[in-house]
Amino acid sequence: MIKFENFSFTYPDAPAPALKNINLEIQKGAFLGIIGPSGAGKSTLTYAINGAIPHYYQGVCQGQVMVDGIDVFDSTPETISLKVGSVFGDVESFFVASVVEEEILFGLENFNIPRSEIEGRITSALDAVGISELRYRSISSLSGGQKQKVAISAAIALRPQILLLDEPTSELDPQSSRQIFSLLRTLNKSNGMTIVVVEQKIMLLCEYVDRLTVINDGEIYSTGSVRDVLSTPSKLEKIGVNCPRVTTLSSKLAAAGLTNEPVALNLNEAESMVRRIIRDYIR
Amino acid sequence: MKGFLQYIPGNSILHQLSPITKLALSVLLCACAFLSSSILYISFLLLLVLGLSAMSGIGRSALQIFSLLLKLSLILFLAQIFFIREGDVLVRLPLNLFITDEGLAFAILIALRLMLSALPLALIITVTPMSDLAGAMVQKLRIPYKYAFALTTAIRFIPIFSTEISEIIEAQRARGVNFDTKNIFKKIRLILPLCLPLLVSSIKKTEYIALSAEMRGFALRNRKSGYKSYAFKGRDLIALLAGVFIIAASLLINLP
Repeated sequence: MIKFENFSFTYPDAPAPALKNINLEIQKGAFLGIIGPSGAGKSTLTYAINGAIPHYYQGVCQGQVMVDGIDVFDSTPETISLKVGSVFGDVESFFVASVVEEEILFGLENFNIPRSEIEGRITSALDAVGISELRYRSISSLSGGQKQKVAISAAIALRPQILLLDEPTSELDPQSSRQIFSLLRTLNKSNGMTIVVVEQKIMLLCEYVDRLTVINDGEIYSTGSVRDVLSTPSKLEKIGVNCPRVTTLSSKLAAAGLTNEPVALNLNEAESMVRRIIRDYIR
Repeated sequence: MKGFLQYIPGNSILHQLSPITKLALSVLLCACAFLSSSILYISFLLLLVLGLSAMSGIGRSALQIFSLLLKLSLILFLAQIFFIREGDVLVRLPLNLFITDEGLAFAILIALRLMLSALPLALIITVTPMSDLAGAMVQKLRIPYKYAFALTTAIRFIPIFSTEISEIIEAQRARGVNFDTKNIFKKIRLILPLCLPLLVSSIKKTEYIALSAEMRGFALRNRKSGYKSYAFKGRDLIALLAGVFIIAASLLINLP
């Protein structure tokens, strides 16, 4: 679905490239999490998928990015917009309307969605993120978290094949963050939407995404299933990515030679691992 | 200045009128301001506009805009009053300056004209969602969406800028800059350097909005894309008739 081939990008006047020789393939229907220290190039990577690079951020590019068989560099922003929905990091700056309903309507009108379908699209998009009551509110009167939900709802109303989110829960409370991630899971599992999400909350990522890509200093540090990527927490911590505590604990137990099981990803796994170790020890 | 020139949701008659009717009415009122030379009539129209706004629940922002216009007209008033030398002298001032009765009347008229021509147009913004204004202009006036979008985005930026500048001022104040000075020149000297960060952040913002619009298929849009239709209803007709009546009255009052 998305394929980076030897892709490098340098922002104008930047001393070093923001992305260096990226090779990454994201399958159709994948639910991929991207994590890495700040300034690693996570957002730049999303810009390369939705066509902001090269159409907005003109810099020095090398290599190729293919999205659903289209070369991003040879196509127009509108061609990509039909396939990729984006939720940007700083949602505040990206609103085009002053009322919530209008914001969601904007994309639907542009895409020439049939009139009869529009009302249903708006209500279901608002319902999905749980903000039906905000429909007629003016956007400037909303809180940061509510604004994020509006941006997400405007993106999913368009039902893109690929949904790209840059820290969609940065201003949300834990409960809403979970709500958003379970919505993403539903979109991924039932609608087959390919989802790429940049997120700092690693615990959420571990729980919901299928695959994880760690980016450090413009390069892919590691990529694979969540368990594979998190199998070496000490290395990740060196580059500034904090692993969930259960993962760190279980890998320390393994390092101490107490177990040879793969790392635990959640509390339940960690609990049974510790129970087994204690049982073996008593025996 | 919070909420200044910003859409205020509501269900009043002013909110429900078609955006085109509102545009037409404000243009008519603007025309009245220049056609009529009766201070009394223009004051009456101003009061009418303020009264209608109060009834529509936007009285507060109407007064806000009004007081801003009042300050602007004061400058215009002062500029006019000393330059008209015909008529009977009311007040003599040093430097061979004097105020005549005709000068006073004309200066008041000019000030009122400025207020009446600007107030209704500014008020449209508080009773019309910008996207409705754009949509109606595209559908009814056949203006290309690109231009309608540019216009409405520019208007939408006004409150954003005013929040931004007060944020910058707060940030400077937190670092010890004292903006609370009575001296107007000192104040301007303090505020002028803030224009650069404001300019930078606003250019960034326009780029982001352009990016965001393109990412959601802005270029795919055509005239038929609008979802809402802006049909003229009975109340629009009544409002327009009232507008015509007002303009006819302004012409009649002018007759000797």
